[in-house]
Amino acid sequence: MKDFFQTTRFKVLLAVCVVLSGIMAYAGANGRLQSAPQELLTVALVPLQKITAIFSNGISGVADHFVHLDDVMAENEALQQENADLRKQLVELDRYKAENEMFRSANNLKEEHPEYTLLPGFVIGRDPLDQFYSFTIDVGTKHGVQRGNVVISEHGYLVGMVLDATYTSSKVVTILNPTLNASGMVSRTRDSGLVTGSDWLASEGLCLMTNLPRSTQAAVGDEVITTGMGEVFPADLLIGRVTEIETESTGQSMQAKIQPGEDISSIKQVLVMLDTGTVVAESTTQTAEQSDEEG
Amino acid sequence: MESRYRLQRLLFFKWLCYSLVLLLGAALQTTPGFLTIGEAKPVLILPICMAVACIEDPYQGAWFGLAGGLIWDWTAGRVPGLLAIGVATVCFFASIAVVLILRINHMNFVLLAAAGTWLVVSMDFVFNYWMRSYVQPQVEYLSRILPIVVFTAALSPFMMMLIKRIQKKFSPEE
Repeated sequence: MKDFFQTTRFKVLLAVCVVLSGIMAYAGANGRLQSAPQELLTVALVPLQKITAIFSNGISGVADHFVHLDDVMAENEALQQENADLRKQLVELDRYKAENEMFRSANNLKEEHPEYTLLPGFVIGRDPLDQFYSFTIDVGTKHGVQRGNVVISEHGYLVGMVLDATYTSSKVVTILNPTLNASGMVSRTRDSGLVTGSDWLASEGLCLMTNLPRSTQAAVGDEVITTGMGEVFPADLLIGRVTEIETESTGQSMQAKIQPGEDISSIKQVLVMLDTGTVVAESTTQTAEQSDEEG
Repeated sequence: MESRYRLQRLLFFKWLCYSLVLLLGAALQTTPGFLTIGEAKPVLILPICMAVACIEDPYQGAWFGLAGGLIWDWTAGRVPGLLAIGVATVCFFASIAVVLILRINHMNFVLLAAAGTWLVVSMDFVFNYWMRSYVQPQVEYLSRILPIVVFTAALSPFMMMLIKRIQKKFSPEE
């Protein structure tokens, strides 16, 4: 008998009893004595049921698949093809839409500046280290772009200037950059000044108009345009609106903060203003090359 | 003869893959709006070059860094050379550090990438902002440069995993 208490069988039995006692005590304490074994069974069974259900559904699904496999595959193929076609159409539609809007704006701008040809370009690159939001566009010398070409937005606002043009892309320096200066004028009062980027305003997306006369009547909300002096930027290009006017540190003139008409930091499409002469020369060269090839 | 040919082929494809990853990194780094949080946008070229340098030897790493730096110079529209020299130097010393004192794991690489990025972008900041006497350089540094460092370091383990995977795939033992 003494040996019996030492046997494994007894210990297992004792353990089972202890567990059962525990279960009963738990059930009794919670007033759910009758459902306790059922709960325990459920706990053990549910995962198993889930597995079998999945297995069962899988089998019936597989069987179903095999029964109608040909139909399903044909339908799937047709739908995939249709889906791919629709997606392609959607992408083309988006592009046509964007181009259409841009060409409409470009057409209006072209009437205002007949001496320029407007070339649309998409912004394809921005460097994380550039504090003044310079960017790269997808048109280059191949399309007639040259260093110094003026870049505007589709709504006609000045964006910047081509700093460097490669065969297929061009780097644009924006009006937020302090190295870019444009002769500007407050449209309403005809007060002129120098529009330039500012290191302390660039992060806010603003530029600065300096050298305004002390007697200026310019006010917040006035439009600022280019004067065309210096022959770098054409006259009457929109730049932006005055947001604040203050006296310059020298005290001799006034300066205005300008909110450019376009958000330079996130602009996606631009128009490059090509001199008509450049485009004519470019097309003449292309025609000559074509005739050489044909000859 | 055959094994030598195989080894050369493996080497070729390994460096080809590294280069493709570098080009992809350069394209993503300059993609407008991609992974941009506020003013900060991560620099992807640098951790890719550093990962290659840490896995390969210092000289190969430095050459790869030079190539990566030149691509960066080109895509950023900077005078070619400054970033190239910066990235090559950082890659070389990162590789030396791995050979002599550091074990390559995620945490060490994050710290290494953070230090390397901090050095290179700070150098660029000094030459392209601070030396031009723009006002409030400290504000610009804190609001733009430091977030770039943190963001880049946070993404660097992914670059390391990718480069390690390529290295493992094309190692002769496989």
